[in-house]
Amino acid sequence: MIDKSLRWVDDRLGIAKGGRTFLDKIFPDHWSFMLGEIALYSFVVLMVTGVFLTLYFVPSAHEIVYHGSYLPLRGQKVSEAYSSTVGLSFDVKSGLLMRQAHHWAADIFLGSIAVHMARVFFTGAFRKPRELNWIVGVTMLMLGIINGFLGYSLPDDLVSGTGIRIAFSIVESIPLVGSYLAFFLFGGNYPGNGVIIPRFYVLHVLIVPLVIMGLLGVHLGLLVKQKHTQFKGKGKTEDNVVGSPMFPTFMAKTTGFLFMTTAVIFLLGGFAQINPIWQFGQYEPFQISYAVQPDWYMGWLDGAARIMPSWEFVGWGHTIPLEIFLPAIIFPGIIFNIFVFWPFIESHHTKDLAYHNLLDRPRDRPKRTAAGAAMLSLLFMTFSASSTDVMANFFQVPLKDVLWFFRFAVIIVPIVAYVVTYKICNEMRAAEGVGKRKRAQIILRSPAGEYTTVESEPRPGDGHEELDAIPVPTYIDLVPPELATGAGVRRVIR
Amino acid sequence: MRRLFKARYAVPAVLVGCVGLVGLLGFSPGPAQAVGTPSTTTPVTATTSSSSLPTPIGQPTAPSVSSALKATSPSNKTGIFYINLPASFIAPGQALFAANCSSCHGPEANGSTGVAPNLQGLGAGTVDFWVSTGRMPLAIAGVQATRKPPRFDRLQTLEIAAWVQSLTPGVGTQIPVVDTSSADLEAGGTLFTLNCAACHTITGAGDALMDGAYAPSLHLATTTQVVEAIRSGPGNMPRFGSGDITNTEARDIAAYIHGVIQHPSNPGGFALGGIGPVGEGFVGLLLGVGILMLVCFWIGERT
Amino acid sequence: MSDESPRTGPLPPAALDDPHLQPFARHPEGAQAVAAIAMVIGFIGFIGFGVAYWIGSSTQWEALTLGVGMLALGFGVTAWGKYLMPQGPFVEERHEFHSTDAERDAMTAAVVERGGMVVKRRKLLGGLFALGSATMGIVLLFPLVRSLGPKPGETLFETNWKRGSKLVTVDGRQITVDDLEVGGVLTVFPKGFEGSSPDQVILIRLASELQPLQSPGRTDWGVAGYVAYSKMCTHLGCPVGLYQHQTQQLVCPCHQSIFNVLAGALPEFGPAPRPLPQLPITVDATGLLRANGGFDQAVGPGFWERP
Repeated sequence: MIDKSLRWVDDRLGIAKGGRTFLDKIFPDHWSFMLGEIALYSFVVLMVTGVFLTLYFVPSAHEIVYHGSYLPLRGQKVSEAYSSTVGLSFDVKSGLLMRQAHHWAADIFLGSIAVHMARVFFTGAFRKPRELNWIVGVTMLMLGIINGFLGYSLPDDLVSGTGIRIAFSIVESIPLVGSYLAFFLFGGNYPGNGVIIPRFYVLHVLIVPLVIMGLLGVHLGLLVKQKHTQFKGKGKTEDNVVGSPMFPTFMAKTTGFLFMTTAVIFLLGGFAQINPIWQFGQYEPFQISYAVQPDWYMGWLDGAARIMPSWEFVGWGHTIPLEIFLPAIIFPGIIFNIFVFWPFIESHHTKDLAYHNLLDRPRDRPKRTAAGAAMLSLLFMTFSASSTDVMANFFQVPLKDVLWFFRFAVIIVPIVAYVVTYKICNEMRAAEGVGKRKRAQIILRSPAGEYTTVESEPRPGDGHEELDAIPVPTYIDLVPPELATGAGVRRVIR
Repeated sequence: MRRLFKARYAVPAVLVGCVGLVGLLGFSPGPAQAVGTPSTTTPVTATTSSSSLPTPIGQPTAPSVSSALKATSPSNKTGIFYINLPASFIAPGQALFAANCSSCHGPEANGSTGVAPNLQGLGAGTVDFWVSTGRMPLAIAGVQATRKPPRFDRLQTLEIAAWVQSLTPGVGTQIPVVDTSSADLEAGGTLFTLNCAACHTITGAGDALMDGAYAPSLHLATTTQVVEAIRSGPGNMPRFGSGDITNTEARDIAAYIHGVIQHPSNPGGFALGGIGPVGEGFVGLLLGVGILMLVCFWIGERT
Repeated sequence: MSDESPRTGPLPPAALDDPHLQPFARHPEGAQAVAAIAMVIGFIGFIGFGVAYWIGSSTQWEALTLGVGMLALGFGVTAWGKYLMPQGPFVEERHEFHSTDAERDAMTAAVVERGGMVVKRRKLLGGLFALGSATMGIVLLFPLVRSLGPKPGETLFETNWKRGSKLVTVDGRQITVDDLEVGGVLTVFPKGFEGSSPDQVILIRLASELQPLQSPGRTDWGVAGYVAYSKMCTHLGCPVGLYQHQTQQLVCPCHQSIFNVLAGALPEFGPAPRPLPQLPITVDATGLLRANGGFDQAVGPGFWERP
């Protein structure tokens, strides 16, 4: 049956040879190589739950009277967008589960991209020939952040609406063209004439996901063509890949991982409430709540805006609001440019233009690792600075003190992180064999009183007794039935 | 399979588990959300005194309090009416004040500079708010008094309030009796968002203000205390007179706080502290991505 | 894709007991049993989700059944792959990425020589095509960008506050001079424009003797203790709704800019660069509060055209 179908398709597409090679593809086994899969599978969940949501959400700022089952809102004039989102949460079966799973999937998507990106960075997997793939990945990160912002702004609630006001002001702050761009995007002065929700919707549901999907195809395609990198180890060279075959082993593990990622997302989606917009109410531009922050992946920008001093350039009849322009445009611009161009920054500095298919241990590149640690700590400081008021309340510290702390921490902590990480890397490199279980030394005393040491026998489990890698077998002998074991080795038909 | 229980998994799994529990069960900001038994709209009979001051004079008897209140209440469709405390409360009130409050506020309740404010003219409702929330008597002098279990029972609180009111009859915030039975929750929500959320947050969780002050959590406030606070403007809170927030509006806000803020609808699961994306990011990253990284540990392991 | 391994002849078939083809588990039967149980739990979980959906259970039951189903099924499949499938390790050769030098030269030659023929012999056509395409690209941007919205013009400098505008609440109720107590605060709009974002104003009643006198030329911008400021923060436009009446500060809840109410809403701390524009107000003969003019500057955050 399989034979016939394969021949039918191969007559038309000629896929058998390439298909066989594809099934033999080798994936190295290391836990850190699976982090990108978390991102991939949470993206799948985003799309599936997203389709569900699009069947109920109404992307319109038109005002109606709420008549759903959430009593405190009954009779209130709200936008259709807000009303349909509250309706999804209370009046659509499984609606709340899908909404919350969608939002958790977005948080996990961006979180896993961050750890995946950190793994690629700290192991040097972005080096030649994979610079292009790194750039594709960073672009997907930027698009993911934007799409997350667009998505949580769709319900037109008080908390996300505040974020939209801030977005307008940020665009407005751009010199020369800012006010024009802001008016074009919003269809007029803030809050615009109702076009922003429909425009965000089209971007969030159609345009940005299409671009991400395209880039994802490129990302995975480059991975297939260039093959995955691997750590140094027994039998592993720059010219091979050692690991498990695509079919059946890797496919089974990755399919299982898809299910488990989906499981974690849905368990969070049902047990951890996220974005309870019915508690926030409809957005009005003259209303505000305290203790409001954007979602975590935008937090670093909010924190930067809070700690920025109030410098504004006014001169020659014009204003450049540096207190917005610097933290909201220049700062992320610099950060993302560093991200995008890092492979070239590093190769320019190290003068290393060779191909690299073997990964570094982070300690082997102290400067890169230290730079990465400094960047992470900078982002973490600005991220933490977005909850200054919550921290002041929680730790009972005056708010001004928290702000001043972060103004200094944002400069000092990355520098300290760089220095400390650099030293730790060098120390770790100098102390090889540290941490590995050493063989016990048996001390013997001769009758004359002389002490000698003898290394004990290795214990089972000491060291890695890995087999030498072999190519994927072309076929396997059929087993006589009486010798068959339960391991289920089957004959492969060519 | 035994390998699943090795230390390699156990340590990160325990970390993720602890962090997850902290995140899921919510963040409880410090004194903004006071610990203690909430006072209710009906008079409290038990005494919760834990001070070393002389036992407050006067015995609590609930029936006399409520009958005293009912005897002076006219009917009123707005849901709030203000009561005049009976004159019999004044003398015991003076005794309680002298024993417990005069050391800071002075025997005539006119305060002393840098120590305690002048209470004359503030009204019975103001005194009732501060005493029934336990903020007064002050335990630790700081930037802002914190809510704590009240020192006095309901009758004693009203007696003290009656005496302070008697110093300047008719002036200041009166004690409201709040009937929320015909309140408009939807109107209350709109009013709360416009007037209260900017300091107390949209979920009533409270947050830090400038210079050590803070807007407290609303989760323990009774409807009476809400209206008293609205009318008297305690601390840095603005004073909303009846030309600003009418009695009906104040009643609706109180009903909204009691019905929705204090009993929020959380069909989605654990509320994660009700402080928005901070808690959500914490849980999503540490619990969500953390658990999935543990799964990666397991899948990626070789002999 | 070409076949990977540079095999010089047919490989001997793998023996059955080749350790590379053995399952990872020391006890494959046990591993299979565990995976099987997990998959059965998964099956039950999914059935449970179906039931929970139809009987209208809470979100938590839906999530529990679906989540446990997914987790268990996923665990079973993963355990199958990890413990029961051939453990390897297997190797695959990498090939050179780049083409040979000869191939590269041929490519360069094709582009340069053939392209050179066009460029050198048909310069006019090539140039005209480039001109036409570039012009097309530029003008197609016009509808894409310009049609989105109006030019800002003077809009950012204008609000609906004029001399004589009545102060009203968002519900349209007119404010009289007796409405607020000292220490009171209210959000107001010009009559007819309730709820309009650029017109939002925060009205505060101070004790009469505290009315700001420091701002030169503004002694008559308040009346009877009332002062009015634009509610739109000059930092990023959030409504500045947090009023501390003991410290006489307006605090913006978004990024904690502090404005001094007694000194013309001058920013004292935080990222806001400019004071909140003040609205001059007065009382008319019937006791209603009215604006005594519009704002003297643009409200809200800074932008390029703001002088």
